[in-house]
Amino acid sequence: MKGNTIYKLSFTVLGLFLFLGTFAQDSTQVLWEKANAYYTTEEYQQAVSAYEQILLEGQESAKLYFNLGNSYYKTGDINHAILNYERAKLLAPQDEDIQFNLELANQFVTTEIDELPQPFFVRWRTRTVNLFPADTWSVISIGAFIVFLGLLGLFLFSRRTGFKKLSFWFGILAIIISAFTYSFAARQTKKIAARNQAIVFCPRVTVKSSPAETGTDLFLLYEGVKVEISDSLSTWKEIRLSDGNIGWLPDSCIVKI
Amino acid sequence: MIKKLITYFLFFFVVAGVSAEQTKFVMSAPNAIETGKQFRLTFTLNEQGNNLKLPPNLTDNFDVLMGPSTGQSTRMQTINGRTTTEVTFSYTYILRAKEEGTFEVRPASIEVNGDVFESNSLEIQVVKAQSKSQPQQQASPQGGDSQAPQSVDLGGDNLFVRVAMNKRNVYRGEQIIATVKLYVSPDIPVSGFDEVNLPTFEGFYTQDIEIPQQINFTREVYNDRIYQVGILKKTVLFPQQNGKITVEPFSMSLLVQQRVRPRSFFDDFFSGVRTVRATVTSGPVSVTVRDLPTEPANFYGGVGNFSISSNLDSENVTTNDAVTLKVTISGSGNIRLIRTPELELPTDFEVYDPRATDNVQTSNNGVSGTKTIEYLFQPRFEGDYTIPAISFTYFNPANGRYITKTTQEYTLYVEEGTGEQSATMINNLRREEVQMLGQDIRFIKQGNPSLHEKGYTFYGTPFFYGIYGGSALLFLILSFVYRKKVRENANAALMRNKKANRIANKRLKAASGYMKQNNNEAFHDAILKAFWGYLSDKLGIPVANLNRESAVASLQQNNVEEQVIADFVEIIEQCEYARYAPSGGSEARHDLYKKAVSTMTRLEKQIKR
Repeated sequence: MKGNTIYKLSFTVLGLFLFLGTFAQDSTQVLWEKANAYYTTEEYQQAVSAYEQILLEGQESAKLYFNLGNSYYKTGDINHAILNYERAKLLAPQDEDIQFNLELANQFVTTEIDELPQPFFVRWRTRTVNLFPADTWSVISIGAFIVFLGLLGLFLFSRRTGFKKLSFWFGILAIIISAFTYSFAARQTKKIAARNQAIVFCPRVTVKSSPAETGTDLFLLYEGVKVEISDSLSTWKEIRLSDGNIGWLPDSCIVKI
Repeated sequence: MIKKLITYFLFFFVVAGVSAEQTKFVMSAPNAIETGKQFRLTFTLNEQGNNLKLPPNLTDNFDVLMGPSTGQSTRMQTINGRTTTEVTFSYTYILRAKEEGTFEVRPASIEVNGDVFESNSLEIQVVKAQSKSQPQQQASPQGGDSQAPQSVDLGGDNLFVRVAMNKRNVYRGEQIIATVKLYVSPDIPVSGFDEVNLPTFEGFYTQDIEIPQQINFTREVYNDRIYQVGILKKTVLFPQQNGKITVEPFSMSLLVQQRVRPRSFFDDFFSGVRTVRATVTSGPVSVTVRDLPTEPANFYGGVGNFSISSNLDSENVTTNDAVTLKVTISGSGNIRLIRTPELELPTDFEVYDPRATDNVQTSNNGVSGTKTIEYLFQPRFEGDYTIPAISFTYFNPANGRYITKTTQEYTLYVEEGTGEQSATMINNLRREEVQMLGQDIRFIKQGNPSLHEKGYTFYGTPFFYGIYGGSALLFLILSFVYRKKVRENANAALMRNKKANRIANKRLKAASGYMKQNNNEAFHDAILKAFWGYLSDKLGIPVANLNRESAVASLQQNNVEEQVIADFVEIIEQCEYARYAPSGGSEARHDLYKKAVSTMTRLEKQIKR
């Protein structure tokens, strides 16, 4: 009798959660459709606010950031467009459309930075890691691990020597793949979690040598530039450009990706 | 023959042309006179006429003092052996104006061979008479040297130049007709020009109106005085800048014949005409130029009054045909300064630079003419294209407004060219790169937004690690279970292996029992059972799968001696044979039994388990 009530209660709670979940899903879905319709009819300002509404509900996705970036681009707000494209790129590094629009938006940025050349293996690794987002790498890693277990079983219990050999080598391959993809997933997740990149939003900002107004002026940055945050002190952030320059600027001038 | 005919034909026309010469009846008189002064009104006629009727109401304003005095002049001309005779009859009246004003003299009429011809009409301006001495002065040039020599003041009102403009307050680009005039009092005989510095109209785009090389003096009234006026230059001006533009003063030197006033008796003797140089300078003239109102789109700098028309040479063409759209802008105004209107053609057309030609006439009314713009283009691909209309906006200074005129829109039907053309076209065209017409961001993504919680990644969740751990655990459990079962199976096989020899011996013992009973069939059956059962248990092969071949193969695999296998096969064959065809006696059975026991013993030794 007592067990029965507990069951009932838990079912009710579960049902409530499911209901709320579907409700939230529905409302964001409606918002999504509405925002896309606004964009199609070229009412970009409304589209922006509708997409932002979805973000306020705590939801995100590469597509959402991409569309929001597009809407900002069309309203002429290049900084926000770049910010959202970068966010979309974090979640879907392999997406060509995001890359294309980001490059187009970056043409409006005044500051041009010559990136430091990286060693070839770093470039290869970056390219390989960026083939898939974190979740895809995770799934691949799990899949490879399960394949490895299967091959291990085959190796252990097979009587045929041919099977044993084959499963041994493939098993080694599978566990290596699993390990690598695991590290890729970790890398991608770290990138999302770390949020150590930012976009400069001040139209013009002087980068200082120390975290104080009295610091020596090092160089000028114009809005839209992507920087890497390497340190922070009270309201100041140490930033690092892709050409290797390092300096401090007030954190009110940048928005984290 | 035909040539001859044509010659005759032409000849006929020439003759007809000569005979059909028009009767000309012209009335002429000075256009400006003073009251109380006589002047001539002359009619000339190139044929004999009669019954001349003076213009009606002529006598209202003028007194006819004398007339008509008729005259006749004949002119014969021989050109290339052909003689033409021209006879001119003239009728001259001497009139005098009664009062000041501008009067129109209506046409007079005359009868020639029964037909009545009318003359032109005239306009005569009558001004107040100048000082009393004027009539005598006027007479003096004609009167000859006998009159008292007099000097005329060369400055001021008697001799000057000026630039006359028909407008002083204009829009930028509006045309002004400027006339440089020399005013000479009729009393001053001008013999020639010495130095002429005609004005340069700075700040204007100019276009000269052609005037005769020889300066013809005409009588004109200016400031209520009659002058001999010579037009030195006539120019159409188009102001090019806003504000006040001043035409700088210019000067010229004239040679005037002047009578020298005798200072003494002797002077009088030598008196005569002396040539004096007189320099006259014009005053500055300024024009106020207003800027045009805000220029609308499609304004190409035209100021004036224009119309636009267009003509497409062909609407049905094949690919790579050259098509010309001819646009004609005609009217009066700064036609040379009009820029070429833009024509927005489909982007995959091969478009050449438009060619513009001006055909401009400059007359006393200003500049007018046509500007023809030829747009040449080649459609590259088949299809129906729209040649858009050209909107041409110009500024009309008369009402101070912009006026837009539009040409017609055309549809161009382009068909695929012939094979040869398309073959060459493939070489030229199909290799074209994609033409970039513009650049824009890619369109938004549609469909399922695949939203998830902010910051959520599958990696690092307990579930993610759970799958690793779970699958590893499952693997361990499965392998443990499998291993256990295998061990159990192996135990069972071991048991059977161990029992195998015992069972076989039991069966062989049974066989020996049957041998003693002389039960042939049971004996052989027992031996077969003993062997099959032994092999099944010993080698781990189910009895159902056992036959001679598999048994031999299995035995060979277990490294059993060939001799033993051969014995085994022989026993089996013998048993199977003897089962169905009883032969031999108890001796044979006894041998078989002995052989079976020894083979069994050797098998037991050689199969190691």
